[in-house]
Amino acid sequence: MFKNFGILSLAVLLAACSAPEAIYVSGSSTVLPPVSKAADLFSSETGISVIVNAGGSGGGFNQLAEGQSDIGMMSRNITDGERDAFKSFNFTEIAIGRDAVVPSISSEIYDAGVQALTLPQIAGIYTGKVQNWSEVGGPDRAIFVIDKEASRGTRQVFMRVVLGDPKAEAPGTDLVTGSNNEEQTALVQSDAAIGMLSVAWLNEDVRGLAIILQDGEVVEATHENIQAGSYPFVRDLNVVIRGDVKPPAKEFIDYLLGPNGQKMVNNSGYIGIAN
Amino acid sequence: MSRSLSPTWPNRIFGKLKGLQIYALISAALSLSIVLTIIVTLFVQSGPVLLAENSGLMSTSWNPDKGQFGVLPMLFGSVFVMIIAVSVAFPLGLLAAVYIAETRSSRLRRLIKFFLEMLVGIPSIVYGLIGVAHLNIWVADIFDLQSGRVILTAGILLGIMILPTFLTLTEDAISAIPTKFRENAKSLGLYRHEVFFSVILPQAKTGIAGAGLLALGRALGETMAVMLVIGSLDRLPSPLFNPLSSGQTITSKLGREVAESAFGSVHFSALVFMSLILVSITVILTITSRYLFRKTPENV
Repeated sequence: MFKNFGILSLAVLLAACSAPEAIYVSGSSTVLPPVSKAADLFSSETGISVIVNAGGSGGGFNQLAEGQSDIGMMSRNITDGERDAFKSFNFTEIAIGRDAVVPSISSEIYDAGVQALTLPQIAGIYTGKVQNWSEVGGPDRAIFVIDKEASRGTRQVFMRVVLGDPKAEAPGTDLVTGSNNEEQTALVQSDAAIGMLSVAWLNEDVRGLAIILQDGEVVEATHENIQAGSYPFVRDLNVVIRGDVKPPAKEFIDYLLGPNGQKMVNNSGYIGIAN
Repeated sequence: MSRSLSPTWPNRIFGKLKGLQIYALISAALSLSIVLTIIVTLFVQSGPVLLAENSGLMSTSWNPDKGQFGVLPMLFGSVFVMIIAVSVAFPLGLLAAVYIAETRSSRLRRLIKFFLEMLVGIPSIVYGLIGVAHLNIWVADIFDLQSGRVILTAGILLGIMILPTFLTLTEDAISAIPTKFRENAKSLGLYRHEVFFSVILPQAKTGIAGAGLLALGRALGETMAVMLVIGSLDRLPSPLFNPLSSGQTITSKLGREVAESAFGSVHFSALVFMSLILVSITVILTITSRYLFRKTPENV
């Protein structure tokens, strides 16, 4: 009887393991929207299921490196520290689109007249030297500064441009959020906040700031400026694979770079890599 | 009966022990080994950060890229949130338990307890979502804050979450006092409140304390709900006991960062060290509540 039970449970276990193969994708919530839209199309065309999860660029890299996923999504480049931690593998970054990180503010402040800032002004806000909107031409209201988790790609791009160091500390911070979603909610719920969002996440309640360059030129976060690279916070949206990538995952990446995948990149508010 | 069965392989190995006994033995050994594995793992994995130079474990600055792993803000946050939760849940729970146990019929009591016990089973993420959708906004409105993701919100939410556990166990402790004590006291001419304060409460108090400790343990370990509403700021509030500033607990820090840290790195080790602190606190709480519960009922 014991033997039978053993064989039966072994059979059940094996059946569970050999479930139809799926492609696991995880990482940056910035890269997620086009990838998950493309994944739906890809699945319906090929029958291979693609499971897409958020978790941030750092988390996306770690899961890929540890073999828990097939593709990582990163809204920044792999750091040297990350490559060093997993020396035995080769990682390849593939850009599937372009995006801009936009300093974003509550619509109340935008409507009250703060529509463009210089980089030193934004730096002042994040370091805690500027604490009131009236100091940068806005209403007399305390600035509520929203930062993101240190490993987030959006934050590293933002801090590299504003404070010159992707890992810079921001002592002016009042609140720390994780995903774009969470950051957007916090910005909407406040009426005097500043944060950082990917351009695809801006809307009526959360407005993006234009940047006043040193020569006085004002650059808005328009598609043309992002494509031309004149907006200061432009970055590539990457998918990352490990040297031992499985064929279906490779096929999915080709799909992302093909016409249908690129259409999804544009539909999500980003700029495709082809154009 | 079992002697008439033909010997099977476990009997040959374990002599006279019967199959079921062996099964139970293995289960017990497994549970024990899981607990031991967890504790040993926590100690071993904490090693790198304890050995690292200038890790500043007992400082207030957390910056993995510079090798600074100050756990004080998280430790303070955990304790602060727990204190708020307890001061929300305990008075409410105690008064409600007295009301249910001492003044209501046993049928109503069963009904109320049924719903309470259902509340205990609701997944914490559900509480968290309610916290984000409503509580967070109410707190921001009442105190005129830019964001309701503050220590106070986390504390209140946690208080609501541990209330059912505390209430139902406290009510059990009060109801467990035999009727004869109540009747004797009444026959001596004591008023109802006198019966409660001088007869019931002294006998139920260890049970109530045990209930409190169990609830505390749950409050310390809660992750998801707290993570969503506390604001995740790795800094001591300023001034120190300002519940209206964002903060971080050990669990919310782990929830946010454990996926970001490479296994085996000093960063990972610092996170494990924080869990070790947390586990130590909950183990102490559990042992204390065990001790109190054991002494509770008859031998008073």
